[in-house]
Formats: sequence, C-alpha cells, structure tokens
Amino acid sequence: MTELQEARDIRTEGLHVATRHPVPKGEPILELRALQKKYGAVEALKPASLTFLSGEIHAIVGENGAGKSTLIKLLTGVIKRTSGEIFWCGKPVQLDTPHEAIERGINAVHQEVVLCAHLTVAANMFLGDEINRNGLMRKRAMTDAAQRVLDDLGFNLPAAAVLGSLTIGQQQLVATARAAMRGTQFLIFDEPTAYLTRQESAQLFRLIRRLQAEGVTIVYISHRMEEVFELADRVSVLRDGTHVGTRKIGETNEAELIALMINRTIEQIYHKEHFPPGEVIVETRDLSGPGFQDVSLTVHAGEIVGLYGLIGAGRSEFALGLYGRHRPSAGEVYWQGRKVDIASERVAMDLGIALAPESRRDQGLCLNLPIGLNINLPVFSRLTRGFTINGQQERENADRQIRDLKIKTPSRRVLASAMSGGNQQKIVIGKWLSHGAKLFIFDEPTVGVDVGTKAEIYRLFARLLENGAGIILISSYLPEVYELADRLHVFRRGRLVASHDYRAASHEEVLTQAIGV
Amino acid sequence: MSAETVESGASAAPRKGVSILFGLTLLGLLLFLWLLLGFATNSFWTPNNISNLLRQGAMTAILAVGQTFVIITAGIDLSVGAVVGFTSVIVAWLLAAGVPLWAAILLTLAFGVLIGAFHAFGIVRMGLPPFIITLATLTSLRGIGLLITNGSTISITNEAFTNFSRADFLGVPSLFWMVIVVAIPAYVFLHLSRFGRYLFAVGSNSEAARLSGVNVHRTIYLAYILSSTCAAFVGLLLASRIGIGNATQAEGWELQAIASSVIGGTSLFGAVGSVHGPLLGAFILATINNGANLLNVNSFWQRIITGVLIIVIVYFDQLRRRSAR
Repeated sequence: MTELQEARDIRTEGLHVATRHPVPKGEPILELRALQKKYGAVEALKPASLTFLSGEIHAIVGENGAGKSTLIKLLTGVIKRTSGEIFWCGKPVQLDTPHEAIERGINAVHQEVVLCAHLTVAANMFLGDEINRNGLMRKRAMTDAAQRVLDDLGFNLPAAAVLGSLTIGQQQLVATARAAMRGTQFLIFDEPTAYLTRQESAQLFRLIRRLQAEGVTIVYISHRMEEVFELADRVSVLRDGTHVGTRKIGETNEAELIALMINRTIEQIYHKEHFPPGEVIVETRDLSGPGFQDVSLTVHAGEIVGLYGLIGAGRSEFALGLYGRHRPSAGEVYWQGRKVDIASERVAMDLGIALAPESRRDQGLCLNLPIGLNINLPVFSRLTRGFTINGQQERENADRQIRDLKIKTPSRRVLASAMSGGNQQKIVIGKWLSHGAKLFIFDEPTVGVDVGTKAEIYRLFARLLENGAGIILISSYLPEVYELADRLHVFRRGRLVASHDYRAASHEEVLTQAIGV
Repeated sequence: MSAETVESGASAAPRKGVSILFGLTLLGLLLFLWLLLGFATNSFWTPNNISNLLRQGAMTAILAVGQTFVIITAGIDLSVGAVVGFTSVIVAWLLAAGVPLWAAILLTLAFGVLIGAFHAFGIVRMGLPPFIITLATLTSLRGIGLLITNGSTISITNEAFTNFSRADFLGVPSLFWMVIVVAIPAYVFLHLSRFGRYLFAVGSNSEAARLSGVNVHRTIYLAYILSSTCAAFVGLLLASRIGIGNATQAEGWELQAIASSVIGGTSLFGAVGSVHGPLLGAFILATINNGANLLNVNSFWQRIITGVLIIVIVYFDQLRRRSAR
C-alpha cells in the first residue's frame, strides 16, 4: 500500500469517501452530451459533446476566451449548465454544486492557488477533512501523514512550514498533493505550470503520471504545446466556445492543433481603414520595468500598433510603464522627438496619453459611482471655475459622451455597475474622449463585449486615427490585433520577440512566436 | 461577467433622488422625535432646553462631518475624540503661557492639521491601515496630553474665550452657529468642488481614480487633515464650554461621530455619504439623549437605544440600496 492510499485511509475515519464506481480503464467515465452554457444572450459554451475515458490524460487547448474555463466551472459544479446532459460512470448526474462534484471524486487544481497562506502545509492538505479524536484535532498525526505523502511524491517540501513561506510553484505542488489524497477519481489541472520552474514542472508531471497509473482520469488544460505532447493521450480543441475536435496524440501534430485553435473566418466586424502614417508620436528605446524588458517600439500618428501575447507576457505591464503607473527602471521614452521622464499618470495625461486599462472592474471604473462622475473624472480640473465645478458644463460633458458613444442608459446618474460590459467599456472610452489625447492605449478593449459594440469600438478607432491620434492596441485575441494593427509586435515572457507589418505573417507564425514552441 | 449585468432602466434608480429621499426621512425622524417629546414632556419646547440640545449636538455634528470625509475614502478616523481632548489641553496651555487668543486658536488648529497629516503619512507612506494608525494616535495623544498637564487640568482664565460658548447670536447658541460655519464650506467642498468628487472616486476604486489622473495620496492627506482639523476646532469649543484643558475629555466621542455619520447614510465601505446626513444623525442622537434625560430614563438605556437605532437605520438603508440595484 502506498503512502498516498494510507493517507486517504487516515482521513476517511468517520468521513464520507467519494463513492467509487469502478469503471474499467479505457471506458467512458464522464460523458458530456450537447452541454451548453449561456450568460444572458452570450453563448460561453456552444453545445459540446465530449467523452473522457477512465484513466486517460486528456488535454484541452484553446485560446483565451475559447471556453476552457467555462468548461472547468461546469465540470466542478461552480456554475450550472443551461442545457445538455452529463453522464458520470454511465448514469445521468446533475453536477450543479461544488459539493456534488467533490462527492463524486471530481477535483480541480487551479492556476491561482486557492489555499490559506497563513496555515501550514499539512493544515492546508487536510483543510475541511481534519483528523479528529474526540473533537480535538490531531495536529501531529496530520503533519506526519502529510509529510509522508509529500516525501512519497518526491516533493521535498516541509509539511510543518507555513504555506505562504513557499514559492508560488511549491504552493501549486501542495495544492496538487492535496487533491491527490482526497479520493479523487477525476482531476482537472488548469494551466498548472504557469508559475512553475522547470524542475517543479518535472515533479508535477511525475505526480500526474503516477495518478494516472493509479487509475485517476486527468484533464490537463494548457497553452504549452510541448507539455500537451509530452503528457496527453488525447487532446480536444476549443475555439470561440465550440468544441472543434478531439484527436489521439499520436495522430496529430502541433501545426494541426494550432490550425484548429485559430481557424476562423474573418468576420465583417474588423473595420479597418488605412491612413498615411504621420509624425512619430512616441518612441521607446530599450524600456524596462516591472514585468517587461528592453522594449523598443514606435507609434506614428494615424496607425494602430498591436501588442499580442499570452496573458502575463508583459504587454499590460509595458502599457502601465509607459503610462507612468510603474516607473520604468531603464531605457528611454521620446515623445514627439523630445526625451521625457513619465514619472506619474498625471505626467502621461498631460503629455497626451490615455489608457483604457485591462480590467474595467479593478482599474477602469468606479463602479458604485454614477456614469457621469466616471466620464468626468479626468477633466474635473477643466470643469472647475474658481473653487467649484461648473455644474452645467459637467452635465453637458457627460451627456455628450453618452450621446456620441450611444451608451444605453436612461441618465448620467445611473451607477456604472448597472451597465453591461460593452456599455462599461464605452464609459471608460468616453472618459478619455472628453479628456482628449494624442496616444490612446486600449488594453483588451473588447473582453466581455458583445459583437455589435465591438464593431462600434473598431469604428471609433478609425475616427481617432483620422483625427491624427495613434493607438496602441493590446489583445490576447489574435484576430483582433491581426486584422486591425498596422504593425504587430509579439510579446513573450516580458520581451518583444517579433514584429510584423500588416498581415505580413500568418496566424500560425504569430501564435507560435507567442507560445514559444 | 458582463452579460449577467444587463442594464434595465427602471431598476437603476437615479442616485441623487434617493439621497434626497433618505435625507428627508432622517429629517422626518428628527421632527417626529421633537413632536413626540413635545407631547410627552412639558420642558422639551422651552428655550432653555432647545439651546441646550443645540449645544449638545453641535460638537458631535462637527466631528461627524470631518469623519464623513474620511469614511467616504473608505477609511476611518478613530482618533477624533482624543484629538478633542488633546487640543483642549493645547489651547489651555498656550493661553496660560500668555499667548494671545488669536494666536492660540490658530496654533491649536495647526496641531489638528499636523495630526491629520501624520495619519495620512502613516497610511500612504508606511502602508498602515487607517484603523491602526488612528487607534495608535488615539492612545498616544491622550498620553501626551496627560504628560503636559501632569495628569491634572489647566484652567482657562481668558473670559473672552470662555464666554463665547455661553453666548447667543440672534437667539441661537453660538456653538450651533459654529456648525453652520463648518457645514456650509464642507457642503461646497464635498458636493460642489472637484476635491469632493475625488474623495468619492478614491473611496470607490483608488486604482481607477489614480489611472484617471487623480492624485490619490493628496486626496487621502486632504481627508485626514480635514477630519483632525474639525476635531481640533471642536477641542477649542469644548475648552471654551468647560473652561479647562483636560486630556481625558471627549472620551468615546469618536464613536458618537462615526455613529452620526453612519445614521446619516454614510457607507463604511466608502464612496457613499453627504454633509447633511451626518448633521441630522448627530442631532438625532443628541435628541435621544436629551429626551431620555427629560423623561428620567436611566442613562444606561440611552446607550442601548442608540445601539438599536444604529442597527435599525443602517439595516433599512441597506434594504433600500439592495432594492435600488
């Protein structure tokens, strides 16, 4: 009996265990039939039929927003499906609460560690399933058991240490060990190696293979092609909420998978007008700062410069550096030919830089304040006469942006939180239109935005360019930057790794450069 | 996430209308209490008692206005009671040392500014939570005040100063006039100037405010300096009223101020608040205390009633906010 099984037995004293339905290896353990998830009118997952076989490692790949996280949330009972059926071990199941999922033996290891940083490693591994005797916790027994499991897995981690004192990668391994000792039948890994070192990844892979050998079914979600080919038995591809295919790993290759991931018709929504490039607005030379290194690029009046890369590749960090939020540590910025030191957001705004940040919720809007206040926030000093604000100008300015951008609201006094994603994005844009700028930075401007509003936003880009502005467009959605950018820069791990003119490179080439295979 | 928050015009009530409605409800509650006490007692509607009530409420009201600025930025100022006691010592000490009255008043207010700047420094530069830094000054300031006075009190002999609090102007106590002197500029500041908008923006989402060019640090300095300066001003009024400087005075007033602010519709989560709300809240609390005295209700009951009132009013305000969503 291995330590892992022993630890499972320790924690089963008087506790429920996942009901085990032995399914022979290679038979379907979890089957999805026309599973669909809608948020309002938006289809996050179009009816998908997928089968997971007992004891296999099944990889799922797809771009950001392809529906991977929706699928995980459905499988772990975090959200309820809109329609479709789920069969577990051949029987239809509800699977609409996290409790039910865990009860059946379905667990997930998330990209972000969701454990208690202040407790010890052992306490985290037994969290919610503590070993008790007469109502008192057996701390020593838990620490010993946890240590045996960790040693057995070859993780070389101290069970008595406080979780927060470990690196993110080590915490991820603890989360994995925790899932491994919970009577798991079906374990989902959501981009588990995003924060791991090579060595830690290797440890994780050993654990995954071992779990597979013990009969656990593994779902492995990743951006990294090399990992998929190293680990998986089969691979499924999602694109725009659609399940576009499943392949045996021996019968496919990287090129085919990438083609499946991005092969989409170019929709009419990408409204592109070309303007003759004007003067240089901004130029960075070897600019470095927190999260990005040695970035050199130039933006001309009348052009869109696209920054593509995976989330965390340093695009947004570069934008925040250029905007003065995080002061660059090295390199130079030239604004219309003049060397400048952008020490704060105010300096950037006064030069003529506007930023529609990555997260509307966290960075873009004061959600529990009225739309009008949000729109006027950058321009209150302009609206002030003497000590007080000119109320009439304040109202007119807000109403003008609401009218021009067609923000669907009965009044400027409605709170920003009551608006849909598309309208919220318009409020952020309206803020900067009323301020006016020479360089507009749009970071993921169409995330969570419906198609109609997307098209409106793209048309607005053309209007800005026409008036002599330059745009930096940041996106994780390749077609968007690919179709709109006059020049496309690819970011990977904080560096600018490649640059292309409009449509000069293929989708495959750009995606390969971003992923780094 | 976006698709779930589909906007519907009818449910999203305009914010300003609601806030006026809430203000009227509070005013109605205050008038109701006054009518009730008028029927229940013979002594409530006497000039003497009304003057007394206005004096009682005045100091809490000024503290509550200052406190509200801080709470709107999603902070808290626990030190205001201690600042009142401390500055009463400072002004008594300065007057005893022969400093002219006008200079003593200005210097005392300057102490308020310094204390507020210190709070903001702790929050902005040292990264301390507002609760902690103001809790620390709460205990330290009382200690410093006791050291200065050697544990006793300093009497104030300046008659011009002590007569002020007993004086009336146009039949209204001068202390109540001081509420108006504070409230009008406070209203202009919070509701009509851009600095007021910045307080709300910082309290709602400081990162969004920063990326929109708001100087977040300066806004926080402003809020805490205003709160402490209001408290120093109340310290002057208290010293004038009781004729001594004593560091142990105004014990627990910070809680009265916070309670008044919250009853007046200020949200402890920030970004919701007004100037008229805390003023009404302070006078509602003062009326309850006054009425309980007149009705010979055990003073212990006053505390219980105050506690229940806070829960009831804030609970109904929460219900209203939820249904406005």
